[in-house]
Amino acid sequence: MTAGSPPLVGFTCRHTPLAMLHAAGMTPFRLLPLTQAPDRAGAWLHDNLCPHVKRVLDRALDGDLPPLAGVVLMASCDAMRRLADAWGTARPDDRVAVLDLPMVDNPRSVAWLTAELERFRTELERWTGRTVTDAAIRSAAADLATLATRLDELAAAAAAGTLPGGWGALQAARNLTVTAPLDESGRHLQQLAGSITRGKDPDCPASLPVLLVGNLLPDPTALSLLEACGARPLADDLCTGARQLVAVTLDDVPDGQVTLRLAEALLAPPHCARTLCPGEPGRWARELATRARASNAAGVIAHVAKFCDPYLARLPALRLELREAGLPLLVLEGDCTSGSVGQHRTRIEAFVEMLAEGT
Amino acid sequence: MTGPLFLGLDVGSLSCDAVLVDRNGRSVAWTVLPTGARVLDTVDRTRREVLELAGVGPAAVAATVATGYGRERVEGRIAAVTEITCHARGITALLPGTDVLVDIGGQDSKAVRLDHSGRVVDFAMNDKCAAGTGRFLEAMARALEVDVPDLGDLDAEARTGLTLSSMCTVFAESEVVSLVASGADVAEIVAGLHRAIAARTQGLVRRVAPQFDGLEVAMSGGVARNRGVVRALAAALGRPVTVPDEPDTVGALGAALIARDRALAADPAP
Amino acid sequence: MIRDHFAELVTGLEARLADAGPGEPVARKTFALEAAQLGLRLFSGEAPVAWCGVLAPFDLLHAVGFEPCFVEFVGATLAGNGAAPPLLQLAEAEGADPTSCSFHRTALGAVASGLIPTPEVVIATSAPCTGGLAVVEELARRLRRPLFVLNVPHSRHQAAVEYLAEQLHDLVGFLAEVTGRSLHPGRLREVVELTNRARHAMVEIDRLTRHVPSPARPRDLVNFALVVSLLLGREAGVRVTGAYRDELERRARDRSPGLQGERLRVLWLQNRIQFRSPVEPLLEELGVAVAVDELNPVTWPPIDPEDPFPGFARRMLSTPLVGGLAHRLDHVVRLARGYRVDGAVNPCHWGCRQGSGARGLVDRALREAGFPVLNLEVDCVDQRTFAEGQVRTRIEAFVEMLAERRPARELEA
Repeated sequence: MTAGSPPLVGFTCRHTPLAMLHAAGMTPFRLLPLTQAPDRAGAWLHDNLCPHVKRVLDRALDGDLPPLAGVVLMASCDAMRRLADAWGTARPDDRVAVLDLPMVDNPRSVAWLTAELERFRTELERWTGRTVTDAAIRSAAADLATLATRLDELAAAAAAGTLPGGWGALQAARNLTVTAPLDESGRHLQQLAGSITRGKDPDCPASLPVLLVGNLLPDPTALSLLEACGARPLADDLCTGARQLVAVTLDDVPDGQVTLRLAEALLAPPHCARTLCPGEPGRWARELATRARASNAAGVIAHVAKFCDPYLARLPALRLELREAGLPLLVLEGDCTSGSVGQHRTRIEAFVEMLAEGT
Repeated sequence: MTGPLFLGLDVGSLSCDAVLVDRNGRSVAWTVLPTGARVLDTVDRTRREVLELAGVGPAAVAATVATGYGRERVEGRIAAVTEITCHARGITALLPGTDVLVDIGGQDSKAVRLDHSGRVVDFAMNDKCAAGTGRFLEAMARALEVDVPDLGDLDAEARTGLTLSSMCTVFAESEVVSLVASGADVAEIVAGLHRAIAARTQGLVRRVAPQFDGLEVAMSGGVARNRGVVRALAAALGRPVTVPDEPDTVGALGAALIARDRALAADPAP
Repeated sequence: MIRDHFAELVTGLEARLADAGPGEPVARKTFALEAAQLGLRLFSGEAPVAWCGVLAPFDLLHAVGFEPCFVEFVGATLAGNGAAPPLLQLAEAEGADPTSCSFHRTALGAVASGLIPTPEVVIATSAPCTGGLAVVEELARRLRRPLFVLNVPHSRHQAAVEYLAEQLHDLVGFLAEVTGRSLHPGRLREVVELTNRARHAMVEIDRLTRHVPSPARPRDLVNFALVVSLLLGREAGVRVTGAYRDELERRARDRSPGLQGERLRVLWLQNRIQFRSPVEPLLEELGVAVAVDELNPVTWPPIDPEDPFPGFARRMLSTPLVGGLAHRLDHVVRLARGYRVDGAVNPCHWGCRQGSGARGLVDRALREAGFPVLNLEVDCVDQRTFAEGQVRTRIEAFVEMLAERRPARELEA
């Protein structure tokens, strides 16, 4: 961060209303679980919590953070609730906003989330001393939607093998969009888009197309490693990937309805596995299977953080749905870093070999 | 030698340790034998051996306290006391002022927080898996084709900060074999192992002592003989770690001292 | 299999109660009989069953005409019977994560083996845990039954109460729509009055068990509030809580300790071990009384029979395991002080993210308040993983430590 840049606000969840942070004149800074900080979270909470929450807490305890004007945490799951509790105890001087996040996407929940966003608006105004207007939120949402569109183009290029640096470069770009000011991210994405080649790199090794699903895999090296093992994602459904930026158009939304529309967008599909539709139990697995079938993926790789109940509990249903669709599933449980993907190398390569035999 | 003696027996899953102390709490003899499959036989042999070393017969022993996993099976004891309490008592006698004791044995590890008078105020144990214990080091030494006692000094030349990605004993052994096969330096691998144990152990210590500033830290158990692990733990905690001369027998010493305390409290002139 | 188990229990308990002499303790047997009769109704295949998350308002559902129960009840019952392991294995073979909560994994195994009677509806609650929510969703998916989700807010202020109360109204509407069962206001009023009467007796129980030594016998209050929540709104709930109140009053008056030779008192956090384990006998042997279980004391105000929905909502939100941890920490420290305990025991149930996930913060809060905590790291349902020697060592070491801190108490050699 350079002098004069907007103050940073830490966040950890893709359901965070980033447009509101930008509208408040702040830059969202995603606290990724990538750190050399020593393992302390187990003593503050418990060893058997997801590595996302543990490593973010380790960063907080070690001070492995840029200067933050505040932190916003979504109460999205049990582990995140505990992170909020631990952060408040370990760093009592930090400004921390905890927003409730409903588990379902029906109108009553949207109304509740809207109320939470309005409460957050008041909090942001207290933090910054400035009014957070609907106009500013609209404008920020439009900028984020532009970034999201640009990222989608880059993802398509990565899938086609025409983006130099492939999925590793894409992930690095994705990480930048949630840690840097909007204009800096925009410039980088433009530059990257300009480097897309016409045709696939002839030296690029043969690979099999897969759909990559799961929650967190923010380490660019991990994605490059996946490609090096011969698995080329056609698309992804990751919290740190395609689902990270919630693209919402607010241009035609009148004042007073902006946070409602934002709340709808935050709870809308594509869903994190923790969000469910009471009218359609098991919808998350069905939707992913439908997507996998519709793409030309030869199989699905699910990378899930260890101890993540919302995901692990729903994997058996996903496996069943994919089996019906004739698509094999490889599940990798890890700590969201390239280290754990490296440990899975043999399994990934074996999966690719199996898919290759089948095609 | 005159006067009553007090016996502490630490019946662990790997070794059976015995310490005899006199009424002043001074250690007069000690011994360590591998437990093996026949625990009761080993307990008898350990008793006989420590008495022989002291040059006394069974009648000299006024009271016995047993500790360790086999403590309930020791006959003739006045009490079975857990190894947590016994280790605390033992380390306080050897290193008064100890605030935190880290004990890493053959297959478990513990961190014990003591108050200023050496009483236990909190403890945390890892007895669910062998990672970071003596068993872990045995498996790694096997993979490296070195002897366990030599591990401590092998990391002296290490510079690269190599880290292991797995703490599971089984997977770490495979990882070490791969590293050796790929030509990694043994010193670097051993340093990585020691750092891995230290990282895991400091997590356990934090559960009983969230802050280490100014705390006196001691280490006991067989793994404390490994200077490399002790150095790595000191680096991880940012505090010096002191190891008494016979780190394996701290539990048995504590048990003997508790036997003495209780016997003298019941009858000051036994 | 489960139905037969409950039928046998009912027969046995009825006989024992019939044979009970004057002055013989009967509260626990009465409680066990009502729970067994509930179990029998659930598994008879005849009752209109609603499988729910543990925070669902069972009295409200009873008023609508359901036989509601929480899915963890299945896990606990099977564990108590020693029957959990094969169902756990089955669930794991079908992909259930072995690091997840075994209360839920057992329920999944029971569904997979056809032991769970098909309910009319499934009602999930987002609290206390996201794992539980996922399992109840899975139940609805497998059994192809209508699902309603109660979204329990993270906060407790008035807006949160209103939000939850509105959802409860939605729930009643949903039940009428999908099952044809409606709620009659008169019936609801009756049910709430019964709930309040039971609550009143429970408050008395909380007060009486503060006596030192505790008048409650070691097994008296195991799983009490959790299972009584299923009996609220019924005469059975009033009967059971009344029996406990009367018995404890008598014992307190006669200064008759529940545990002879009580020398230490502990607060037990969250859930008890459900299978027969040496933990409780060991505590008794060492003279340690569980003076209070975290989840037993009443935390909610009486419910207004004329407008009960906010009251139901407040009751759900008052649970220590809901929302941020500060509320839970206040609760446990208050209990530790109020019940004059020497320390606390936290089973740290394997796989419990919301509860065991707070281990370090709970330790810290209780320790700062002067109460040491023993973390057992056990699985409360999966007896396959129970390591007796290790658990015994931890308990004995903890008792040694507590005893050192209380030299005034009589120590046995």
